[in-house]
Amino acid sequence: MRTRRLLTAACVPATLALTLTACGGGSAALPSADGSADGSSSASGDTYQQVLDAAPVAAASQIPSGSLMATIKKRGTLVVGGTDTAALFSLKDPVTGKLTGFDAGLAAMLAKYITGSTKTKLVQVDVATREQLLRNGTVDTVFATYSITPERAKKVDFAGPYYSSGNAILTKKGDTAITSVKDLNGENVCAQSGSTAAGNIKNFAPKANVLLFDGNSQCVQAVKQGRADAYVNDQALLVGVQYRDSSVQVVGKPFTTDPYGIGVPKQDPEMKKFVDAWLKTIETDGLWAKLWKATLGTAVTGAAPKPPVIGSAEGS
Amino acid sequence: MTDHLSAIAAQLGHGLLLTLALTVLVFAGAVAVGVLLAVLRICPVSPLRAFGAAYVGVFRNVPLLVLLVLFVFGLPDLGLLYPLFATAATAMALYWAAFVCEVVRSGVRAVPRGQVEAARALGLGFGACLRCVILPQAIRPMVQPLGSIFIGCAPSTSLAAAVGVAELTGQSQFVTLRYDQPLTTFAITTVVYVAITLTSALIAGRVERRLAVAR
Repeated sequence: MRTRRLLTAACVPATLALTLTACGGGSAALPSADGSADGSSSASGDTYQQVLDAAPVAAASQIPSGSLMATIKKRGTLVVGGTDTAALFSLKDPVTGKLTGFDAGLAAMLAKYITGSTKTKLVQVDVATREQLLRNGTVDTVFATYSITPERAKKVDFAGPYYSSGNAILTKKGDTAITSVKDLNGENVCAQSGSTAAGNIKNFAPKANVLLFDGNSQCVQAVKQGRADAYVNDQALLVGVQYRDSSVQVVGKPFTTDPYGIGVPKQDPEMKKFVDAWLKTIETDGLWAKLWKATLGTAVTGAAPKPPVIGSAEGS
Repeated sequence: MTDHLSAIAAQLGHGLLLTLALTVLVFAGAVAVGVLLAVLRICPVSPLRAFGAAYVGVFRNVPLLVLLVLFVFGLPDLGLLYPLFATAATAMALYWAAFVCEVVRSGVRAVPRGQVEAARALGLGFGACLRCVILPQAIRPMVQPLGSIFIGCAPSTSLAAAVGVAELTGQSQFVTLRYDQPLTTFAITTVVYVAITLTSALIAGRVERRLAVAR
């Protein structure tokens, strides 16, 4: 499931690049002619940078010698396992080479908290390698829309959850009839035939007429053409769609819960406590919400959600 | 699980009805369009013959799934938004029509040339010659190939599930998503498809024998 989702996420840019014809609106980011996706840096990039600039730095007393944090501080860079292709979470700007997005922003803020600089070193990870790279010490931490599961928690520690994702709703831009999952009753709602979304729609909106299509791009197309009123899939995937196609919108908060955690090595238990404490700090001083606004908030309607309670997910 | 069974049966039953309706509609449409195309392909007017040949060339060489996706997602971009079921049925009927056309044409070609010449000598025109002399003799060799097309057509309606039509395969996908018993569900679905195709083979055999007696 997870592999499939990531594969689909990776295919979205390619398929959408082919199917994108007109770009109405224009407020949201669209890849420009030279291929750079710099909507967030022009419209709200300052805010993204401002959030990083405002990020706190840990007091020396919080980093005991001999701990993993001390090692990272001495090295001067945080080694982060992640990706550079997840729009709004962690996407590399091909011109500046900088990573932007919610995951990338948090990683940079954690790096600053430990070393004083937002510099990170990205190691590409995928579903199969994340646990292994944390266990053998290749990466210090993983920020990669990493769902906390009890099974994974046996191999690595999870700080957080830092974000609660799940199934969300995509509609045509300007559609105000659908604001929550209850509004899907009586509507034509499409879902990808391999995803668990169809079952979730039936549970939350039993009167919805569910259409199954094979691919993500077909579901998006169906919504744009009016064949379907809404499309339900994982929020992380839908915001990626919205990022590249401003004729659609992601509505409100996810209606199922898929908690994302920050992966840290199990062999350094002090790291999990440290990252949890840091997460608490940035959540209390509002930086978490500001970062959400500057990244995911550009694609999702409504105000920043409340961050999930730290330790609330099974396995965190 | 037992209380789910009736719900599953109802869901699959609904899917089966749609599959049967789709199969019958597609086959009927394919025969209607196919016969028309065959007439075009054997008529004396060369532009019409060329059109028939081009149609068969295009529709027989594009994979059905591609055709379905083009119809379902391409037509709305041209402003033609029809219900999913109708769109899928039309695309499939147009696809199978190309095959029916070739079967009908080869059946007609199987009638010896002397028959046509004799009909012409008696003063029958193109239409009357086709209706009274050629078709009655041409239908016999067409029965089994048409039966094969029906058998190919019935399971191919499952492709409609890929474009959102909740027929038998589509409903099986729903049931699988809901109850997570993919093997059982698809085994049942397979049995139903095989039952449909075996029945149609039997019927084709019957029809063939009937026509053979009339000789």
